[in-house]
Amino acid sequence: MSADLLQAVADVGKGKGTRSLLRVVILCLIAGAAIASRLFSVIRFESIIHEFDPWFNFRATKYLVANGFYNFWDWFDDRTWHPLGRVTGGTLYPGLMVTSGVIYHALRALNIPVDIRNICVLLAPAFSGLTAFASYLLTNEMTTTPSAGLLAAIFMGIAPGYISRSVAGSYDNEAIAIFLLVFTFYLWIKALKQGSMLWGAMCALFYGYMVASWGGYAFITCLLPLHSFVLICMGRYSTRLYVAYTTWYALGTLASMQIPFVGFLPVKTSEHMPALGIFGFLQLLGFLDYVRSAIPGRQFQTFLWLFAGGIFGVGLGGLVLATSLGFIAPWSGRFYSLWDTGYAKIHIPIIASVSEHQPTAWPAFFFDLNMLIWLFPAGVYLCFQQLADEHVFIVVYALFGSYFAGVMVRLMLTLTPVVCVAAAMAMSSLFDTYLVAKAPKPEDHVADEASEGAAKKAAKTGLKSTSRPVVGVYSYFAKGTIVSGLTLYLLLFVLHCTWVTSNAYSSPSVVLASKMPDGSQHIIDDYREAYQWLRQNTADDAKIMSWWDYGYQIGGMADRPTLVDNNTWNNTHIATVGKAMSSREEVSYPIMRQHEVDYVLVVFGGLLGYSGDDINKFLWMVRIAEGIWPDEVKERDFFTPRGEYRVDGEASEAMKNSLMYKMSYYNYNMLFPPGQAQDRVRGVRLPEVGPTLSTLDEAFTSENWIIRIFKVKDLDRFGRDHGQAMAFERGIKKKAPRKKGPRTLRVD
Amino acid sequence: MRWLPAFVSALVASTTGVLAVKKSTEERFASFHTKALASSAVKLSDASFRELTAAPRDYSVAVLLNALDSRYGCQMCREFQPEWDLLAKSWTKGDKKAESRLIFATLDFSDGRDVFMSFGLQTAPVVFYYPPTTGPHAAKSRDPIRYDFVNGFQSAEQMHAWIARNTPNRPSPPVQRPINYLKWIVTTTILLGGGTSAFVAWPYVLPVLQNRNVWAAVSLISILVFTSGQMFNHIRKVPYVGVDQRGGLTYFAAGFQNQFGMETQFVAAMYGVLAFSAMCLAIKVPRIADPKVQNVAVFAWAGILFFMYSFLLSIFRVKNAGYPFALPPFM
Amino acid sequence: MRSLLSFAVLVLATVVSAISTTGDRLLVVLDDAAEQAGYSKFLGDLKSRGFKLSFETPKSESLSLFHLGERAYDHVILFPSKLKGLGPKLTGQLLLQFLNADGNILVALGSDTAASTALVSLLTELDIHLPAERTGLVVDHFNYDSVSAPDKHDVLLLPPPGSHRPGVKDIFSAGAPSDQVIAFARGVGATLGAGELLTPLLRAPSTAYSYDPSTQAETVDDPFAAGEQLSLISTFQSRTSARFTLVGSAELLADKWFDTEVQKPGAAKAVKTFNREFAKRVAGWTFQEIGVLRVNWIEHHLNEVGGSNETNPKIYRIKNEVTYAISVSEYAWDAWTAFSVPPNDVFQLEFSMLSPFHRLTLQPDAAHSTPDAAAFTASFKLPDQHGIFNFKINYKRPFFTNVEEKNTVSVRHMAHDEWPRSFVISGAWPWIAGIGATVAGWLGFCALWMYSAPVSGKKTQ
Repeated sequence: MSADLLQAVADVGKGKGTRSLLRVVILCLIAGAAIASRLFSVIRFESIIHEFDPWFNFRATKYLVANGFYNFWDWFDDRTWHPLGRVTGGTLYPGLMVTSGVIYHALRALNIPVDIRNICVLLAPAFSGLTAFASYLLTNEMTTTPSAGLLAAIFMGIAPGYISRSVAGSYDNEAIAIFLLVFTFYLWIKALKQGSMLWGAMCALFYGYMVASWGGYAFITCLLPLHSFVLICMGRYSTRLYVAYTTWYALGTLASMQIPFVGFLPVKTSEHMPALGIFGFLQLLGFLDYVRSAIPGRQFQTFLWLFAGGIFGVGLGGLVLATSLGFIAPWSGRFYSLWDTGYAKIHIPIIASVSEHQPTAWPAFFFDLNMLIWLFPAGVYLCFQQLADEHVFIVVYALFGSYFAGVMVRLMLTLTPVVCVAAAMAMSSLFDTYLVAKAPKPEDHVADEASEGAAKKAAKTGLKSTSRPVVGVYSYFAKGTIVSGLTLYLLLFVLHCTWVTSNAYSSPSVVLASKMPDGSQHIIDDYREAYQWLRQNTADDAKIMSWWDYGYQIGGMADRPTLVDNNTWNNTHIATVGKAMSSREEVSYPIMRQHEVDYVLVVFGGLLGYSGDDINKFLWMVRIAEGIWPDEVKERDFFTPRGEYRVDGEASEAMKNSLMYKMSYYNYNMLFPPGQAQDRVRGVRLPEVGPTLSTLDEAFTSENWIIRIFKVKDLDRFGRDHGQAMAFERGIKKKAPRKKGPRTLRVD
Repeated sequence: MRWLPAFVSALVASTTGVLAVKKSTEERFASFHTKALASSAVKLSDASFRELTAAPRDYSVAVLLNALDSRYGCQMCREFQPEWDLLAKSWTKGDKKAESRLIFATLDFSDGRDVFMSFGLQTAPVVFYYPPTTGPHAAKSRDPIRYDFVNGFQSAEQMHAWIARNTPNRPSPPVQRPINYLKWIVTTTILLGGGTSAFVAWPYVLPVLQNRNVWAAVSLISILVFTSGQMFNHIRKVPYVGVDQRGGLTYFAAGFQNQFGMETQFVAAMYGVLAFSAMCLAIKVPRIADPKVQNVAVFAWAGILFFMYSFLLSIFRVKNAGYPFALPPFM
Repeated sequence: MRSLLSFAVLVLATVVSAISTTGDRLLVVLDDAAEQAGYSKFLGDLKSRGFKLSFETPKSESLSLFHLGERAYDHVILFPSKLKGLGPKLTGQLLLQFLNADGNILVALGSDTAASTALVSLLTELDIHLPAERTGLVVDHFNYDSVSAPDKHDVLLLPPPGSHRPGVKDIFSAGAPSDQVIAFARGVGATLGAGELLTPLLRAPSTAYSYDPSTQAETVDDPFAAGEQLSLISTFQSRTSARFTLVGSAELLADKWFDTEVQKPGAAKAVKTFNREFAKRVAGWTFQEIGVLRVNWIEHHLNEVGGSNETNPKIYRIKNEVTYAISVSEYAWDAWTAFSVPPNDVFQLEFSMLSPFHRLTLQPDAAHSTPDAAAFTASFKLPDQHGIFNFKINYKRPFFTNVEEKNTVSVRHMAHDEWPRSFVISGAWPWIAGIGATVAGWLGFCALWMYSAPVSGKKTQ
């Protein structure tokens, strides 16, 4: 009876029209869910740009919208990297800004006046909807079951691994890049399956868009050749592959070279070489294939294949040689640190210092992917069932994606799509098995037992597990259990995703939220308070010196020139700032004068217990400075003789005299009764007398002391050093030089 | 104040130097240099250390204070010693005429306790560079310059750079690593042997290479390894198991951002089990022809799945306090 | 615009004519009003030059250098005072504050009265040092006045100082007859630190020395200082060009030395002193009547054919040809005159980012000069380095106010459409040819393919 009921339900979806209608509706709902779950930050706080890099992208977008595309293309930004300036137009990935610029103008054309900020804030959620759709398409290429695609779409829509970089307000390249990544892969699979030049060209087009949007395009540049190579090794060379790859490579490379920032890299650097090599190798194979079809003869063919292998080897050797001789640039630091994981720590402290370049601990995986992480292997295993070209792609992608995600936290982003696809395949196959109304009749299959042998033979090359024919599940109870179990897991997954999103990924780190004792929410808004102060109380071209983390925010929110910012292209300049921060005032002052610094900004969490402050980052400044001036700045000097990093009375001399320490703790002990000064981050009691500053004046300190701004004094008008001048103000008479020793004579 | 011990030792050194052997700095340098030429870096004792570093001296001394004895369990000491010897050798050989007037020496803790004490050294290895107090290269301060291995192991080249920086406008012969013939031979033989064996065994190897199950197994295992944070262990060199306050073993590191070696393997295993049971439910079970067996299988796998998942969640709650979700039985 | 500027300058000049450039309120501090009779000529000269004099005694209630935080006077003269300290209204800090607020101070000392502690602390801050006992006496047994001080030798007769060093304008003794002498009677000498803000205006002759008559009456074992190191009149100019002058002998400003005859030992006849003119010039310098430079206008613009002729643009491109021009005037007593660079000195322009990329000598530019303003110009090619650069003028010379001008411009990189087109570059021709060949070849191939249809098999029939 229940069977009939299910039948009745199923009949609704029988008609083709109804199905596709349902599909569209479901997809729309998924997109809606994806967008909605990313709006926590807007609802909790406000429509504001998050974190650091987004502030630069936002500023660049505003410039683009204000001055038009060509000015943006040739933009020389004289308000960052003072006094070097930055050729911004040629050193960024314009895709993001151009996208939102186009949207902005399109809306204007439709007489919908929308503030550019809101477009930037909501761009990421909007694109996440598209990403869900793209992964739906990609998954449909993988399996025949219709449900897999929809599952993949919803997984992609709400998986925290992707939400982490695409909540409303995190206006970063990844926001659109992930959509492009998935969609490019879809087009690649399409092109490969049909061997069609049109799809290949489409793939190249979106690859070009991807290159214009995110540095991570190298992932595609390496993955597609790898896929093709694996296929070739499996003896699956075909004209389809030839057409698809050649079209993609030729057009895609041309497209990528249009981006000033990329320029000639595709033919110069190692990370692009695999693509080039495979391209050449495919030409060779194509030729050989033709020859083989033309000339019969077994030995000749074997010879040809050996010949091909030989050429490949030679080409590889040549590549290595060219790299070692320097014709081809070796792997750039960031990429290289993915392979030789110890490399960055020793050679490029700047890269090592970025938190999102750290390796990933297992909780992070589970946190970001929940149950998908264990459905993922199952899905990959399913790909081995009928191992078509596209399944090979999934396998390869899965392997490399998971390796990279293991090495670098931020690359969890590139892993997430394949996890969603694979997990969706596993999930859907489970549903397909257990969510069917009709149960098999046992007696039908007794006969099959006999003919199994034949089946075994047939599935010789296949997986052992699939050697026997599919029977189906008999008991409804079993089906019910499994289905309900799976539903439970899915619901749990949704709960998890929502919880993670709302708790972990929805705070715009510019505004901090804290809970009051009575449970009410208290907003800590020191950053914007300080930046607003700068905007309103300093000269329009006042140069602000701060550690590079805050460069973009100062540029975006305070609109003042900065010395260094998060685009860490000039190690020496950053090291200069590091030196100024970590040296004595007598050393720092000339540096600041030379760079025309007007204000110095430091972040201090001691009062509030805000651990991400500059004293905790201080060692990186020291290290980076030491990299350039190993004789003047020594990391060792900032540790106590017993090798501890302390800020209290026991702190080393170098530490106590460093500008950073002085600025952080200047006047801090005024807040406390004598001798009670507490640093709540380091959890230590500070010395009775605080540090004194002679070359800087305290200009501003935010409400919770998180941001402190100091003004750099001008040279003393009477040619004294600042220490003397202050002493005289305090009424201390300067001693006349004693008559001891030889007189210092004046010569002029 | 950190140099106080250094002063003391310098004083002591000078006095003892005077008492023990009335040698001019010239003679001392000559004698030690001959020793250096004989061996790589001069092995010192308390007395000879004082003699060598006694002021006045017109030569410079680079001495490595080391603790090789396995009792101290100083890994880096043992790693660095050969590098140091190599550096000393190639430098001394590099300028036979001793124009750099630099002597490399090693003082092991077992031979030079007093020196270690007088410096108040907590850690080893430490390199001291004594600038000359007289002569053309005389430095302003007579205190030795100290090199701590703050950022880990240093190769001979890095150390060479540091010393060269402290001995300006003097010859600094580069480090010459001896060619490791054995390594070459071994690699070539291995390559050749591998090639031939591959050629011979090809017919037998080929089916294995072409076997889908093998590949499936390989890729699944590597995926599990990567997704369970093995790379983190590899990069951060985390311990296999932890020790808690009471000295007992802990298998799960507290905190979201760290983990132990064993922990990750355990997690990988759990993922494996979960994935496998899912696979069985999806692939194996529907292929079981016998209804009873199938029923059993279904419930068995479903049970394992449920059980494992709830256990995984409970472990995750250990790592991430305040994670609200759980499944029975591990609430 | 330039003409308009210079017109404004003219107006300004007429307005401020005949007094100092920084104001005319002059405070004279004396122990009691009676003393001013002794300096009547000097003060009269000042009055005649348009200064509004007001007289105070250190102790008086009404005396205050500041009113509501603003300077109450523009200039101050401190005549020697018997008091140990000058009281609460004239502490060292206050005086320094006055200088810091761009007031000018002229201090006169005498060997008979010890300098007050307030003064000494001020002087120490400025790195000017008096003898430890706050007084002293400069004597010279070779150049003394044989008329008034035949045996004490404490009236020095000195030639006018002349140019301080080659390349520095001589503004104190220019035009003085060579036989003129300055009578420096019963004065105190000071020693100066090495700071570049200090300049000795009048140095003692190499045979002079300073001692303390009270303690070292009969034997001078260890003189305070001797010879050229002994500065009789010392000047200090702060970075903002506030001026301070220390005149060692108040009598140099007194009437009695203005028109007496003095005679050097062994000189044929007595001569009249140069004191009056000299005192006028010293006071004039201190009160910013001479040696004052002013920048009227600065402009820089593109110097390329077809380039925009916008004045003072914010941004240039690398390797642009650029012209920089500056107009400077010098104030002479009562009018602005064209500034002329002293012989064997140069007026330089720096184009710098972190460190100078160019350092050029500015050439006089007659075309844009007016009687009261001299224009200087330099044209050069910007370096091949983008960044934020400064046009910098840093002209600091003794006895001239500091000229420090900084104009910031950005130098941008080449825009994408500013490079030569590919067909202009001969090196690119092979590649262009290659493209052409490929296109042609492809078209040819297509044509061939289309028109070589397979022959329909007639023969087979």
